[in-house]
Amino acid sequence: MRSQEPPVTAVQQEARRRCWRRLPLSLLALAVVLAGLLALAIGVPTLWRYSGESVRHYADPETHFMHGSIGSEVSGLPVRLWRVLPDLFPDAFDDQHYEAFGFLYAPGDEARRGDLPIGLGTREVRGVDVAWFNCALCHVGTVRESSDAAPRQIAGMPSNNLDLYGFIGFLLEIADDPRLAPDSVLAAMDDQGQRLGMIERQVWRYAVLPRVREGLLENRATLAPLLAEQPPWGPGRVDTFNPYKLLQFGMDVAELDASERIGTSDFPAIFHQRPRQGMDLHWDGNNASLQERNLSAAIGAGVTEESVDHAGIERVADWLLDLEPPPSPYRPDPDAVAAGKPLYMRHCADCHGYQQGERYVFEGERLGQVLPNDLLGVDPARLDSYTETLQRYQLTLFEDDERYRFRHFRKTDGYANLPLDGLWLRAPYLHNGAVPTLHDLLLPPAERPQAFVRGLDMLDEEKGGFVAPDCTPGEPLPEGFCFDTSQPGNGRQGHAYGTELTAQERSDLLDYLLTF
Amino acid sequence: MSEDVIFSPLAWRNLQVKNRLFRSNISGRFDNEDGSLTQTRINWECQFARGGVGAIISSFVPVQMEGRIIAGYATIHRDDFIPLWQRLGEAVHRFDCKYILQLSHSGRQMDLPGVHNQHRRSLSSTDHQEPLHGFLCRAMSEHEIERTVQAFADGAWRAREAGLDGVELHAANGYLFTQFLSSAINDRRDRYGGSLANRARFLLEVIRAIRQRVGPDFHLQVKISAVDHNDILPWERKGNTLAESLQVCRWVETAGADALHVSVGSLFPHPLNPPGDFAFDTIASTYDAMLSAGTNTFRNYLLFRYSSLRWIFRWLWSRHQRGHAVEGVSLDEARAVRQAVGVPVISTGGYQRASLVREAIASGACDAVSSARALIANPDLPKQWQAGQDAPTRPCTFCNKCLLNAPKNPLGCYELSRFDGDHERMIATLMSIYDTRPELRLPPVPPAQNP
Repeated sequence: MRSQEPPVTAVQQEARRRCWRRLPLSLLALAVVLAGLLALAIGVPTLWRYSGESVRHYADPETHFMHGSIGSEVSGLPVRLWRVLPDLFPDAFDDQHYEAFGFLYAPGDEARRGDLPIGLGTREVRGVDVAWFNCALCHVGTVRESSDAAPRQIAGMPSNNLDLYGFIGFLLEIADDPRLAPDSVLAAMDDQGQRLGMIERQVWRYAVLPRVREGLLENRATLAPLLAEQPPWGPGRVDTFNPYKLLQFGMDVAELDASERIGTSDFPAIFHQRPRQGMDLHWDGNNASLQERNLSAAIGAGVTEESVDHAGIERVADWLLDLEPPPSPYRPDPDAVAAGKPLYMRHCADCHGYQQGERYVFEGERLGQVLPNDLLGVDPARLDSYTETLQRYQLTLFEDDERYRFRHFRKTDGYANLPLDGLWLRAPYLHNGAVPTLHDLLLPPAERPQAFVRGLDMLDEEKGGFVAPDCTPGEPLPEGFCFDTSQPGNGRQGHAYGTELTAQERSDLLDYLLTF
Repeated sequence: MSEDVIFSPLAWRNLQVKNRLFRSNISGRFDNEDGSLTQTRINWECQFARGGVGAIISSFVPVQMEGRIIAGYATIHRDDFIPLWQRLGEAVHRFDCKYILQLSHSGRQMDLPGVHNQHRRSLSSTDHQEPLHGFLCRAMSEHEIERTVQAFADGAWRAREAGLDGVELHAANGYLFTQFLSSAINDRRDRYGGSLANRARFLLEVIRAIRQRVGPDFHLQVKISAVDHNDILPWERKGNTLAESLQVCRWVETAGADALHVSVGSLFPHPLNPPGDFAFDTIASTYDAMLSAGTNTFRNYLLFRYSSLRWIFRWLWSRHQRGHAVEGVSLDEARAVRQAVGVPVISTGGYQRASLVREAIASGACDAVSSARALIANPDLPKQWQAGQDAPTRPCTFCNKCLLNAPKNPLGCYELSRFDGDHERMIATLMSIYDTRPELRLPPVPPAQNP
């Protein structure tokens, strides 16, 4: 080893002495600098990786409708977690994927490959891909013309399969489940072949998953008392405004009047939005602005004032303006149709418009207007669930932005007369889906089925709607959900229009309705 | 002109001088590494004697090799150097000019230690390094002090033996004596530190030792900094006040000094000594010679080298200069000293205008003035004054380039404007003192050894 040259000057000697004296400090400083550099080297890319957000753009508006983001991900779950939940909770998923809760997969998508179902928009939020509801969740359904036919997906029709109550209940249930612990989730990800880097794994272990659980627990504390009071919604139904009150405005269930706590109703069809502009929208007609209705629905899906993606929502809204329902597949007797049309024009068209060949005519003296429920007489729960208190809260939304500030919400006294375009896709009928078929709707309320199976997508060519056999509440079913009209909010009463017609007249009227 | 106070002779106790202008002490690296002086030194000094100054205060002449400021300055630490100094004295005396040897010791203020000193810390009153350049030092033991006192006495004796006209103790501007005197530097706890009397003990012991060695009839003057202004770096203490220095002067007089030479500043260079400009480009080109000499020199070099950093040093330097004239910068202090003591007083500080000198002497502020830079620019300044000029035709600009070149280049005037921008003429002037034709001796050849 080469020996060190002795110092030539006293200054060099002093420098060496200071060097040794300062060695611990220098090493410490070096360690600090190295640690700092290391922190920078890791921290900057990590911060870069886990900051900001990006969202995928879909060129096709329908794909955007199905998979695009509207800004609801702030309320959502990480995509990686979506992928492992069926593996972690096979009992809840019945060894299936999200189809167990009625979610649909786009043609070509496979849950096994990690594809997410229709109705989930994804967005990278602070480095984590998060997915949550978009418009398609509640507005894409399936129909089958026979039991052996493949389901046909139709965008814009109500999501007749989706058991949102069941899915939300599942999420609230697993909030404190040990299987949602980081070890378990990360192991499931590993089993699926989801690759996590060393840092990403730590981020997931100590940040992402704990926050997910925290969010679920928070939502459980908020929503569970409400859901406990409500009869299960069943597939194709949602309580639009009560969760809204709790999640968006921080209200407590105890603050809600007993009459307003159940607002469960059917998912509506969303075809032909352009002609609906100016009509009283929502089942109870509480808002005549398409834009506000859309934004409010987005909030119901989990969007917040901060996270809202107006461009994403407006792109969907534009696409829906002229979205037409596929023509009815029913081929009723033309003579009967011809006989039924005048009956319809006399008894129904004022309120609902009418079908003219292939085209729906959005004309009617009272079309799109609220009819007091004193006259209509249907189940009032949905009407009562929207309150003046909620209206006041809603009018505070987007206060800082004149373009989006809510102005049109109002409390009504009834339900809106809706156009019946795409009627064949909108069963069960009435706002709360309490009447399974058009045939049943023309029967006096007392004769309408007391309990029937929802969630089937096979068309009923005779009655108009989906096959909905009678059922006994509480008894197990091979498929579907037994909808009990005696439960609060599920009442089949009211809308007795046409019930006084003769059987032949009702048959003709039904045949005409089957062309819608 | 015979009534001109500048040219009225001085007749002090042990020294007679033909006029009142002394060439102040200033040096140059003209001499040999062993401390022996050269023909160049003689040429250098003779140009001032020829120019008409009454007396020359020598270069900074160390009494020990361990007290050199810059290697290459002549020393007086060996008896065999006496004939060399004698020769220099003879050369100067031919012009009716007196030669006063400045006995010095750098202490810690050692700019270029050279091979004799670079390997060791220099001696000082303190262990604390010099703050500006970071020159390292250690506190002298009493034995070392005693040895140094003796070295000064021996130096004075050698000066007298060489036929020189007197000696000056360099007790100003930050060198060893200042390091003992200054309250900002001396942190000793023995009888050489603490009280003013203790701090002055080393200087007074040297004076007494010299008197004992050379007797009472050999001119002995002391150059002193009347005020330390030690806080060039704002975190340093200010050091000795004028009142403290006046007391030291009284003790010096009592101890046997014949005259006092008044300056200011507890380190060199100092914003007030020599006052004037600070030529950054010049020092940036020469300070590299000092890089290995101190622990702070590289820092300073960066401050000098990079124009974006120069404002820092400029601010440190200029804040002490505000309100001070360049010429006669310490005249007020000289006046105070003269009032406090009975011995004559010389005031130093860039004197270049005859009118100012006359006024200084006539007003009783001092008995004589000393100047260095003005004489480097115009060695014949006395003759120009004598010819009736108040200031020379091409005056010194007080740019201080002469001083800032000293660590690396020959001493002389580097102000190009004084040579009408003619670089060749400036170099020729600088080189004029090297124009020597000494007889070259052939070294003896040892006798061949028989196989």
